[in-house]
Amino acid sequence: MSAFLQHTFDGLVSGAFLALLALGLSVIFGMLRVVNFAHGAFYMLGAVGTYLLLTEFGIPFWWALLVVPLALGAFGMAVERTLVHPLARLDPLYNFLLTFGLTLVLQDLVKLRYGTTSSPYGTPSALTGTVDFGLFDFPAYRVFVLSFAVVACVAVWWLLGHTRVGMLVRAATERPELTRALGIDVGRWVTPVFGFGIALAGVAGVLAAPMRAVNPLMGADLVIVVFAVVVIGGLGSIFGSVAAGFGIGLVQAWGESYLDQWPIVAQTSVFVIMAAVLLWRPAGLFGREEAPA
Amino acid sequence: MSVATQEKAKRPPSLLRAVAGAPRGLRWALLAAALAVTLWLPNGLYPAVAVDILCWALFAVAVDLLLGYTGLLSFGHAAFWGTSAYATGLVAIHAGVPFPVAVLAGALVAAALAAPIGYLAVRRTGIYFAMVTLAFAQMIYYIANNRRGLTGGENGLQSVPRELFGLDLTDAYYFYYAALPVVLLGLWAAWRIVHSPFGRVLVGIRDNPARARALGYPVHRYKLLAFVLSAFIAGLGGGLFAMAHRFVTLDTLHWTTSGKAVVMVVLGGIGTLWGGVLGAALLVRLEDWLSFSGFEAVGLVTGGLFIVVVLVFRRGLWGTAADLLRRRLNR
Amino acid sequence: MRKRATIVCSVALLLAGCGGGGPQGSSDSKLSGDRIVLGVLNDQSGVYLALSGTNSVKAVQMAIADFKAKHGGDAITDDITVETADHQNKPDIANTKAAEMYDRLSVDAILDVPTSSAALKVADVAKEKKKLYFNISGATTDLTGKSCNKYTFHYAYDTYMLANGTGKTVTEQGAKNWYIVYPNYAFGQDMEKSFSAAVTGAGGTIVGKDATPFPNDNFSTFLLKAPTLNPKPDVLGTMQAGGDLVNLVKQYNEFKLREKGVDLSVGLMFLTDIHSLTPAALAGTTYTDAWYWNFDAENRAFADRFLKETGSRPTFAHAANYSAALQYLEAVQAAGTDDADAVVKQLEGKDINDVFLRNGKIRAEDHRVIHDAYLAQVKPAAEVTEDWDYVKILKTIPAAEAFRTPSADCKL
Repeated sequence: MSAFLQHTFDGLVSGAFLALLALGLSVIFGMLRVVNFAHGAFYMLGAVGTYLLLTEFGIPFWWALLVVPLALGAFGMAVERTLVHPLARLDPLYNFLLTFGLTLVLQDLVKLRYGTTSSPYGTPSALTGTVDFGLFDFPAYRVFVLSFAVVACVAVWWLLGHTRVGMLVRAATERPELTRALGIDVGRWVTPVFGFGIALAGVAGVLAAPMRAVNPLMGADLVIVVFAVVVIGGLGSIFGSVAAGFGIGLVQAWGESYLDQWPIVAQTSVFVIMAAVLLWRPAGLFGREEAPA
Repeated sequence: MSVATQEKAKRPPSLLRAVAGAPRGLRWALLAAALAVTLWLPNGLYPAVAVDILCWALFAVAVDLLLGYTGLLSFGHAAFWGTSAYATGLVAIHAGVPFPVAVLAGALVAAALAAPIGYLAVRRTGIYFAMVTLAFAQMIYYIANNRRGLTGGENGLQSVPRELFGLDLTDAYYFYYAALPVVLLGLWAAWRIVHSPFGRVLVGIRDNPARARALGYPVHRYKLLAFVLSAFIAGLGGGLFAMAHRFVTLDTLHWTTSGKAVVMVVLGGIGTLWGGVLGAALLVRLEDWLSFSGFEAVGLVTGGLFIVVVLVFRRGLWGTAADLLRRRLNR
Repeated sequence: MRKRATIVCSVALLLAGCGGGGPQGSSDSKLSGDRIVLGVLNDQSGVYLALSGTNSVKAVQMAIADFKAKHGGDAITDDITVETADHQNKPDIANTKAAEMYDRLSVDAILDVPTSSAALKVADVAKEKKKLYFNISGATTDLTGKSCNKYTFHYAYDTYMLANGTGKTVTEQGAKNWYIVYPNYAFGQDMEKSFSAAVTGAGGTIVGKDATPFPNDNFSTFLLKAPTLNPKPDVLGTMQAGGDLVNLVKQYNEFKLREKGVDLSVGLMFLTDIHSLTPAALAGTTYTDAWYWNFDAENRAFADRFLKETGSRPTFAHAANYSAALQYLEAVQAAGTDDADAVVKQLEGKDINDVFLRNGKIRAEDHRVIHDAYLAQVKPAAEVTEDWDYVKILKTIPAAEAFRTPSADCKL
């Protein structure tokens, strides 16, 4: 029983990363109809930035958790203005291609400057211990990551539900045709929302720095899993992205612990689930069918 | 609205069309020039690089067949390129058949794999289609990595024999000419598909799926067939690639390989078919040059170039060339 | 249309028959082109950049300088150069580059080549072109097994040496119960097999082993499992490498396994890995090293020169590249020609001692270059007094025991 709880907890922690990334991807998609291929690269920049703040400026983890998402958000807004916006009126595939090119450039810039060797980053000293849950104990840092991600997701949910901007974003995300039909102008929120989505990827990156290898390619394969996650949850659905993120984290952790003679199961489960969802509910578990783009 | 239609108003779909109004002599001159360059290529370039260009040209044309003429961006075509490479390699190793037969077998396996993947993927369009194909390709990658007995894992499938009626094809220079017919066959097939009634229906679906459906065309089935045909042509390229290098590795299935083909298509010009050939030549040559130049960031150059093309140069090399030519002729 | 295709084909065949630009002939001089060209083909932009990469080119240049200094006017030639290319860890690029190096740049011997698939491919090229190839950073034993050939030498290490060195020696030193995790791809699977055999051969027990997805950034499942196994393992043996190793070590510390009495042993680790993970994160970890820069005065002198050239201390791959280049040049000098077959004859069976090879021998049977290996342990942070001096050598594993006996699969 305690082992099961441990694995479940563990799955939720990796799910937290998927959920944060999927959430950012979904928010951006909702507002701009752009699938940001560079999302994994921004996650990587978040982790690398955290590492650089410590080594170059001596700025510790807690400040990085504030500074890095803000800086990446600003960078994201600049990217939206200079690169993404000029293509806004064209087929969204152009922006998908653009962000793919951006991924290559960002990865190589980091590689060129800092190499590909994974950089060390310690666990923040306040969180090096373990938390005793009675039946099992768990590293304190992971407990923190999970709580932080849950709080972040709930906060975003609240923002979207209780502020005017949020309602606009949610309306544009989940009912794009209706929003436009009602003549609601979402234009001036496009840039900040893009920046916000990037900042969420940055948060995930900062959280990853103490527990995962920090290197230029850390987001490259992850972004594909996140794509599958949002397809499962429904690309337009904020709730679906978060739920699918945690769900896939759980499935992978359980797969790894109980089907450990077949590691292939844990690796491909997300794609098999995606195929099943496509057959059964092409718009995703929580998505809503819309007119073909 | 699809990527290919975006620019339609401004440019003719292909150089051939641009030349259509040109004097007969010019048409033949251009064709002869293209042929001459193709035949001369391994004398000017390092032959192995020239062979790589042939393989990638097929791959890029296959991707453009989907992107440019069906409006579907596949970001997972490495699944077919790589699967065919493995199948070709295995057939060559175990059956010892002439290499074109092995390549054909590999391409058929790729097409067979494309059927179920395409069946699921064509249910979505646009960006969803790109993400779904990407995810499926990643799944194939993981499976190949795990089936070590078959694929050799990350050591790859080594020492694939290159057999053609006892001819000595060890030298890449001779292999180039041996492979050329297969490549021309693949390119010709792509050209035939695009200019067939089937191809015109595809373009119709691309431009207005609702109308095509209303006219009674089974849209999903048309897209699926296009997907399978494209996978077959990509498979020809992948099989030849296995033969060219006489080994197959997991890289052939990685998503970065899919990305590379898409980059070639965009560089050459989406929806121009032959632009993919040009894009392939350019990118292969560029990568070859960069790896000897001591400059370490290949992705920085290709990614940067790609961004510029997407932002300001969306017609690509071929589209721009066609446009210039047309303007000159119309003057 | 069909007619046109036919014309194209016949023209193509005609041209091919004429052979517009086939391979070039060789000259009569003792040295092809009156010079010697060494080629360093490795990863200069990816994960293996730090452990070998461009600094290996500098190591080879040091070898050339030392060779010239030693032989002075008697040297077979003054004209020795280095060509280099980045294979980006892609075997297809390695294939093209290797052929290009031999054919167009008249490279006499290719050195280094990390990444197993690329390493094996270049062995094929060397065999086909009948030119020398010293693999240094490749780990696969296939280079001296079923893929061995007359022109290929495997220099520094391989999976057997790593697994056997650590598994056997650590077990003999008292750690009886092992839990092994390995990445589920060829390198990991090979390592696990050799490692388990070495542990059981030395009287230890494998209490559990798990294949992990590759690549993987979350090892908590396995780390949670380790202390719950019965009997509890003394050591966690990880066969992970590169980024995966960094992930695993971080999480090993996070889950406090050392405090729970489970030590860490690593299959393959380079000095640069320790540097980037920091010795504190790895304190107490054991692994097998092919060479260590601060082992004795001779190594240290080399390391000092290397530091001056490159700004960092050499890994074993750097030292091995130096050694391979030097020994190749010495063999050419002795043979009086760079003819590949004559040089191979010089090298086969030769006993060598240099800065890298201790009690070294180039085995004639399979071209495995054997030498002493070392069981190393990462020092506690408090004992690290100098940058890059991170480990102490617990035991020297004699050359004869360090490597496997020649494989029956190898037919040169």
